Amino acid sequence: MDFTPSNTIITIVAFGLLYLALNKWAFGPLFGIMEKRRQLILDQMNTAESSRKQAEASMAEQKAELEQARKEAYAILEQARTTSTKQADEIVQSAKNEANRLKDDALKDIESEKNKAISALRSEVGGISVKIASKIIEKQVDEKSQEQLVGQYLKEVGSK
Amino acid sequence: MHLFPIVNFMGFDFDLAAIFAILVSCVITFVVARLAVRNLSVDNPSKMQNFMEWVTEFIHSTIASSMPVHKVRPYLALGMTLIMFIFISNLLGLPFLVVTDAHHPIAWLGITQEYLDSHGGSAHIAWWKSPTADLAVTSGLALVVFVLVHFLGLKTNRKHYLKHYLHPYPVFLPVNIIETFAKPLTLSLRLFANIYAGEVLISTILMMGFGGIPFMIAWQGFSIFVGAIQAFLFTVLTMVYISQATVHEEHEEH
Repeated sequence: MDFTPSNTIITIVAFGLLYLALNKWAFGPLFGIMEKRRQLILDQMNTAESSRKQAEASMAEQKAELEQARKEAYAILEQARTTSTKQADEIVQSAKNEANRLKDDALKDIESEKNKAISALRSEVGGISVKIASKIIEKQVDEKSQEQLVGQYLKEVGSK
Repeated sequence: MHLFPIVNFMGFDFDLAAIFAILVSCVITFVVARLAVRNLSVDNPSKMQNFMEWVTEFIHSTIASSMPVHKVRPYLALGMTLIMFIFISNLLGLPFLVVTDAHHPIAWLGITQEYLDSHGGSAHIAWWKSPTADLAVTSGLALVVFVLVHFLGLKTNRKHYLKHYLHPYPVFLPVNIIETFAKPLTLSLRLFANIYAGEVLISTILMMGFGGIPFMIAWQGFSIFVGAIQAFLFTVLTMVYISQATVHEEHEEH
């Protein structure tokens, strides 16, 4: 086995050239791509993180809004319930009032009709009495006819 | 053993097989890397791109095990070039061997009449081998690492780098200097010896003829494993050396 010094020199030169060539045309681009991918993954992770936060925030917001809507619905329901109760009470009350009023009216009517009838009867009786008196005065002949007459008129009155 | 075609050109010896192997390794490494980064995509990587990214991640974590993670980035390309080049180089010698027989002296290949005479009238010339099965090549790689380590040490961490030669006491200076030179030496020898031994054993098994096929299968498999381990080891040790020279940790103070 000989030692050929020229091989050493050639190796050094060849290795140096190979290193430069690989660095320029092979490893440089490769490292660049790997670095770019690292950056890409970093970016994507950051994006994922931020969108996760955003999603959480909007989730919380929606939850709050849902809670709000629920409260409002409950309030509306409660209000409707009180309103309807009140209305029912009012209706019942007004119906009662109406009924009372009608009853009072009817009673008043009855009273006034009665009074009217009484007063009509009175005036009738008065008229009849006057007629009886005039007839009595007209005739005044005898006891007999008088008695007959009174009886007759009383009968008339009774029949009326 | 095989002879390698060594040419003398302008007063220097050139090992054609090694040069050829280095070039082929470089080309394969480059083509593989280029294929992997064709149609790069951020969100829809191809299979090759996935593979290359896996290699990158692997080297990254390997380097990160020897130095703080934020200092890894500048050495990532170096680590990947090292491991890919060495791994492909290690595998290069495994699949086949190109041998030509020369029966006459060929002056420009350095085959002389004496050599032919001493080898029974013919010379086997191997045109193909792992570049890393040549000590000169692995020393070249180790030299690159050596220069890089000390350059980076001086540039980024001068005070502590220089101080470490006198660590723990000035008396240890010679030991530290020996260690400094032993590092690249072991680095190159380890890689060379592993791959060279593998190729020697392959040639030896080839001599067994057809009976050697089961051994060949087993050894080829093991050689792939060894090649991967050695490439990994070379890369890791390089990074550890760089880390030792450049990274100053606080707890070393006391």
